Amino acid sequence: MADTACVIGKGIQIRGNLSGSGDLVVEGRLEGHVALQDHIIVEEGGTVVADVETRELTLNGKMSGNIDANDRVSISSTATVMGDIRAPRVVIEDGARFRGNIEMDVPLPDNI
Amino acid sequence: MANTVIGSSIVIDGEITGDEDLVVQGTVKGKIQLKESLYVEASGVLEADVETQNAEVSGQVTGNVTASDKVELKSNCRMVGDIKAPRILIADGASFKGNVDMDV
Amino acid sequence: MVDTAQSTVVGPSILINGNLQGDEDLLVLGRVEGSINRTKTINIAESGIVKAEITVKNAVVSGVVVGNITASDSVEITEAGRMVGDIRAPRVIIVDGARFRGAVDMGDLEAPRASGPLPQRSADRPALVNSSAPAPQAQKAPAAKAPAPAPMKKAIAPPPPPPAKKAEPVRAPEPTVVMAGAKKLKKKVVVKKKSD
Repeated sequence: MADTACVIGKGIQIRGNLSGSGDLVVEGRLEGHVALQDHIIVEEGGTVVADVETRELTLNGKMSGNIDANDRVSISSTATVMGDIRAPRVVIEDGARFRGNIEMDVPLPDNI
Repeated sequence: MANTVIGSSIVIDGEITGDEDLVVQGTVKGKIQLKESLYVEASGVLEADVETQNAEVSGQVTGNVTASDKVELKSNCRMVGDIKAPRILIADGASFKGNVDMDV
Repeated sequence: MVDTAQSTVVGPSILINGNLQGDEDLLVLGRVEGSINRTKTINIAESGIVKAEITVKNAVVSGVVVGNITASDSVEITEAGRMVGDIRAPRVIIVDGARFRGAVDMGDLEAPRASGPLPQRSADRPALVNSSAPAPQAQKAPAAKAPAPAPMKKAIAPPPPPPAKKAEPVRAPEPTVVMAGAKKLKKKVVVKKKSD
């Protein structure tokens, strides 16, 4: 428990800005703006309505908002996500629901 | 142990509502409304008005606290603001500035 | 559902410029520009480059795609896949390592999750692996041994695989070798297949 920077439980709603370092687990509801330096996990049942800046984001629940991650975004099969994603690595599992833009660096051959 | 923890490196500026326990080790500015217990640990900083059932303060609180059951100020805490609750405990070593209203 | 005998292969040195349509699976090892209309699965292998508007049932991208894909079932970008364009499909899968830039539209997000026939999907993958993995060797072998291979077959339209193939349906490299001679043959080719 000591390592867990932040857990937002099922019965908790937060509206506002959330910033800092450390991992964040969302089982409840988070609205506003999130800027974290580490890993955010939105669990199944959790809802995030926010623009998110982070290093890594794992989505199992619902998310609406734009995502700017400097490492990786994973959208699992139970997730529903709306918004634009900018990240070097984006993973979408079969069964995931997603609508929006994805922006990664795409190295194309010269002759395309 | 409570489900929800705001870690020491986290800053929240806004509103927290809920029906479960909340542990604050980081910083919360704004407003907190809970149906259960609020724990402000030694590293926690609250600049917020609080409505809750129970509050246990070991860190710093600036703002008014209203509890339907109990407010407990532990030693080494710092609290500036008014407290309204049927039961209020202030430990030896706690620093507190504000009004106390036990609704007598 | 993977009927390899019923699939068209665009060999690694083939360039098709035009409109490709049909009612069977398509495996792209070479290059296609224009538009592709398929009622079944298109597999773009690691060596494949497609610069086209693609309308299919299923698409598996392991090579390069520049253009939009509309799929009635699924689109998968594998770890080697690179794509720039928009995707419209009820199921979109992006594997770690894949590179993608564009919009994704899965339709109604509140609709029940597309579970679909996953057996078909998993059966697709081995087919892709089997057919694309040996391809580079098949491509290299003639090039190394015979630097100037005689352009034997014009390879206009990738012919439907010979009936003999039905005996060993997993082996795709065969047509690949046949077409390896047609180098830098820029031709406008229209492959049309009746859907009955």
